[in-house]
This record gives sequence, C-alpha cells and structure tokens, in this order.
Amino acid sequence: MKQSTGAGQWNRQQLEQHLKSAVDALTPDIMDQIDLSTPQDAVLGPDLGHQALLRLQRRMRRFTLAAAACVCLALMGGGGFRYHWENGRVESVIGIDVNPSVELSINRKERVLEARGLNTEAQAIIEGMDLKGVDLNVAVNAVVGSMVTHGYLDHLDNAILVTVSNDSVRKAKELRASVVGDIEQTLRENQVEAVVYDQQVIEDEERKALAQRFGISYGKAYFLKELIDQNNNLDMEDMEELSSMTMEEIAKKIAEDSYELGELADRATEASTEEATRPSQTEPESASGTQPPPATQEETPTETETVAETTSKETQAPTTQAVATEEKEEEGGPVEIDYVDYEDGMVYVYFLTRVNWKKPSVVVRDEEGNSYAAMVAEASKKECSIEVSGLEGGKGYTFVLGGLAPAGSDTSVAVKGYFEKPEIAQEVEEDTTSGPDEEEDEGEGEEEAPSSSEAKEEGQESVPWDQTEEEAAGLPEEQQTEKQEEAEQQETSAEASCEG
Amino acid sequence: MGDAEAFQQLYQSTDRTVYSFILSILKNPQDAEEVMQETYLKVWTSAAAYQSQGKPLAWMFTIARNLCYMKFREQKRQADVGLEDLNGEEAGEVCLPLENLADAMVLKAALDILKEDERQIVLLHASAGLKHREIAADLQMPLATVLSKYNRAMKKLKQYLREE
Repeated sequence: MKQSTGAGQWNRQQLEQHLKSAVDALTPDIMDQIDLSTPQDAVLGPDLGHQALLRLQRRMRRFTLAAAACVCLALMGGGGFRYHWENGRVESVIGIDVNPSVELSINRKERVLEARGLNTEAQAIIEGMDLKGVDLNVAVNAVVGSMVTHGYLDHLDNAILVTVSNDSVRKAKELRASVVGDIEQTLRENQVEAVVYDQQVIEDEERKALAQRFGISYGKAYFLKELIDQNNNLDMEDMEELSSMTMEEIAKKIAEDSYELGELADRATEASTEEATRPSQTEPESASGTQPPPATQEETPTETETVAETTSKETQAPTTQAVATEEKEEEGGPVEIDYVDYEDGMVYVYFLTRVNWKKPSVVVRDEEGNSYAAMVAEASKKECSIEVSGLEGGKGYTFVLGGLAPAGSDTSVAVKGYFEKPEIAQEVEEDTTSGPDEEEDEGEGEEEAPSSSEAKEEGQESVPWDQTEEEAAGLPEEQQTEKQEEAEQQETSAEASCEG
Repeated sequence: MGDAEAFQQLYQSTDRTVYSFILSILKNPQDAEEVMQETYLKVWTSAAAYQSQGKPLAWMFTIARNLCYMKFREQKRQADVGLEDLNGEEAGEVCLPLENLADAMVLKAALDILKEDERQIVLLHASAGLKHREIAADLQMPLATVLSKYNRAMKKLKQYLREE
C-alpha cells in the first residue's frame, strides 16, 4: 500500500493519532449482539469461590497495589459496587467531614460514582442531589455549598476535614490539592471562613475498626488516631469524646489545648473570605477555572498555609526564566510531575496535572550545572518527551520545563524534574556504536534533525540551552540493538525522581 | 445498579481497549470483531464469579487472549484440512476497511512489522489511550519494559514508514 502521503514525515504524535483514528473507525459496536438473556454462570459455592478468588488474587499480587487499594476502598465504602471496571471502578474516596460526613467515591476520571452520607446530618446534606457521574469539583462544590446552606459552616471557627484515599500517593496528593482548592473556592464564594485540614490516608484495619466502633467516618477516625498518637496527654479514652465532636469543636480543642498536630499541622489551611467575589450558590462548573484565581494561588503549595494570605508572593516566572524558578518548583508547584523516564536519548515526562503548552522549552543540566542540548519533541496534556543528547550514563540530570500552564490557567509556569541516564544504556551504546546497524537502528544523530524540524512544524519553539561544540555536532547515540532488549529488563526506569 | 446496566457501562468504557488488544493479537479486523463479541459474552456469563477483583482489564485481557488463541487453533485446523487459501489469507494481506488511507497505512504497518507484544503496547497506548503504567499492570510487565518496547516499536514504525 504505497502512498505518497508524506509518510516519512510523520512524527510520533501523528503516528499515534493515525493509530487512534484507525482503531476508532474499526472498533465495532457489538453491544447489541451480546445476548444478555444468556444465563450467567452461577457464583461458585462459598468454598470454591473462595479458592478461585484466592487464586486470582495470588496471580494479581504482583501489581496489587492498585488492585488491593481498589478492593479495600470498596470494602471501606461498604462495597456498594457490583463492578469495578475501568470507569465504574472506585479509584479514590474523598471524605468531607464537618459534622456531616460525606464520602465521595470517584473513578479515575474524577467523576463521582457514589456519594454517601455517613450520618443523618450528611444524608440531609446530599438528599435530592444526584451526584453520580458528576465531576468531582462540581460535587465538592455542591456538597460544601449544601453544608453552608444547611447552616453547618456559619460559625466563626468552622473546620473541615478533607480525607483522600488513593493507592497512589502522588495521585492522592494531587486530588487533595484540588479538593482543598475547590473547597476554599466554594467557601470564598459563600463568604465563609474555615480551617481546612486535609490528609491522605492509607487503609488501616485499626482505624477502620475505630471508625466503625465510634460510628464516624474513616477520615475522621484516621485524623483522631493521628492526633492521639501525636499527643501524650491524649489517649484512646479521649477518642470517645473526640469522636462525638464536630470538626469545629475538635479544631477548637486543638487550639485551646495546644495539641500537637505533627504532620497534620502543615495541612491545616486557613480559608478566608477576603477574596469572596460571588454570592453563594453551588452553580455547577463554577468550582474551578471560571473564576480567575488570585495571581499566586496556583503556585501555592497545598500543604502550607494558603490562599488569601499568600498573595504577596511573586508570580511564577515566565518560561524563559525557567532555571530561576527551580527552587520554587521543588516545593511542589501548580504542575506536578508523576514520573520521569529516560530511554534512548529521550526523556519522557508524565504529568499528574493536566497541562496546556504555550511555548515549550527545556533546559537539561547535570549536577555540575553543565547544560545539554535538549528540546521538547512532543507535548500533550499528560506527557511530553524531551530529546536530549550528550548525556553520560549513570549520572543524574535535572531538567526544567517551561512554557506550560496547568489546565484552566493562563499563567505559564516552569516545572523541574530529575532523571538518571542508566549506566546500562551507556554500555549498550558503547557496544553498538562499533557494531553494524540493526534493522531497527535509528541513531539519535539521525533522529535529531528530523525531530527538531517536526517540533517546529508543530509550532514548538526550540529551547534555550548553552550549546557546546560537541553537542552542536549532534553526536550520534546509536543505541537500538537487540542487546538492549536483553538489557532492558535490568534497566530500571529513571523514575519519579522529580521533586514534586 | 443492575447487572445489565453495569455491563453496558463496562462495555462502553472498555470496548476500544478490548478491541485494540484483540486486534493486536489477531491482526485481522473481522476476526477481531468476532472474538470481541465472544469476549464480552464470556465476560457477561462469568461476571458473577468475578466481583471485587478490582482489576477487570487484566481479567478481560486474559479472556480475550484465550479466545484469540482458540481462534488461531481453529484457523490452523481449517488450514490443516486443506484450506490453503485461508492460510494464505491469514498470513498475507490484511484488509483494513478504512476510508482514511493514512490511518490504514499506519495501522497496517503496525500490525505487519511489530511483534505481538509491541503491537499490544502500541495499540493499547496509542489507540486505546491507556497509560503506560496501566498497560504495565494489565499485561503484567514492568513499566520500564513497556516504555522501552513502546519507544522501540514507535521508532521501528517511523523508520518503516519513512522507507516505504
């Protein structure tokens, strides 16, 4: 099927696009052809069933972090779900405790699968709301807005506890930040002040039992147990008293008795009304993005005191000053990196935050501060790839990406990450530079030129870097051989060393 | 949530992924459609035994993979009894009923030149939109392997299409 379609010019993104659109077009809709009247296999008897589950579980144990957390969350949530499929699967549970305790189970697309009121007050809060399938930020807005209208947050010392359970620490962190942001925004809209405690939790049998025993949410049980553990003058006998308190009363007690909050102290976030711009209402879509945030809010690390008080901070440095922003980025900026991987002269950066690209730029430096030829080859909302040459194996490098903005924001920011070029890759490289090219060889030197033109085609700008003569020559890095295939199992991904 | 409703939801959220997976093994859209149908039927009939495993895609892939291999066996049997044409068709030209020639060309190249594991990874990522990490989990491979196989496969594809 030879074509004169300029196939040779296609870059990776275009190839992916063609593959996507090809499979989109081919994917048949066979739903109607499935006869749902076909009897389903009966559930195995208790013993057999148990064995079968055990077998399955054993097989899946290798990567059960996600799976186990999912099962645990389902248990935690009372197991209301029949299926834990892709989008029908609970990925995270968000707890919002004031005194009403609401739990939102969400899928990976951050859509609500179930909203549960854990006490009668909470049931009144979510009564009449159909939150299923709604975006998390909208649901959070609605729940908090409803708490306000029900008169739960009309005191001077309101307190809210936000609890995020997710199997991925990073994802939990991101969610936590986003939920806290949504809550703060809703509070501002409703002109309410509150202390927001937020925590990310893992499953813990003891705390789960505590939650059940005292009839409180898992998040609150977790929080109180943490509080008791941190303070010698509190013990489990106080749990009973504390568990019957509202978050406001707990916050007051913490303040009055000067209890240590340990890590939790960092998480207390004072939301204020200073920036209230709108009358109260739980208008969908208003939770994020539509209201211009205060100039610096995006870069405010969620784990510290935030919002209105921080407006004196400088705004994010623009793209071209990426390097200058390094220190700030280390604190965890508005764009968070999930993980970073190095492979064959390419650095792949995966974001936790969805990003929009304006003028992509990148600077790659080694520990001594020498910079390397690098450019953003491809960039999408969730990931980007950086072509970089001249790196030595077994060394660590930092990169600063610029010209990107978190989705919903217009402010360009820079984000810093770290990766290592594995030693093994270097060995393979050395082996192969002298050997004949394999079928799949595609030397980096050769790759370099077309890729840069591709990048330009896509409207991306090349990057400021201090080019050395050696780099300018575009030294070839011929790496792709069968040897590498053998080596790849040993090759650990230069993962997640981003300072986020 | 009723069973049928849940199943429908499952179907809607996984159809492209499951199809991509099956196509990556069978390389033939017609066969892939048949096996896809069988896969979902099997999922439906076995769903009751599967509750709370929390990793549905891996489970569905296992079902799909087994059905694909059954398909191969079936084709081989037919070939063995003298249907050489069928064998030739199976090994030879795959007809991709696609209007967009560029799409067809890239997909055909991917199906023709990539190895099975590469095809799986490429189609699951590029076509079905799964993250590398999800592919690693569902195919039970280390993330680094998925990444390197993906990168190698895409380079191979690019190179092949450049030479075409």
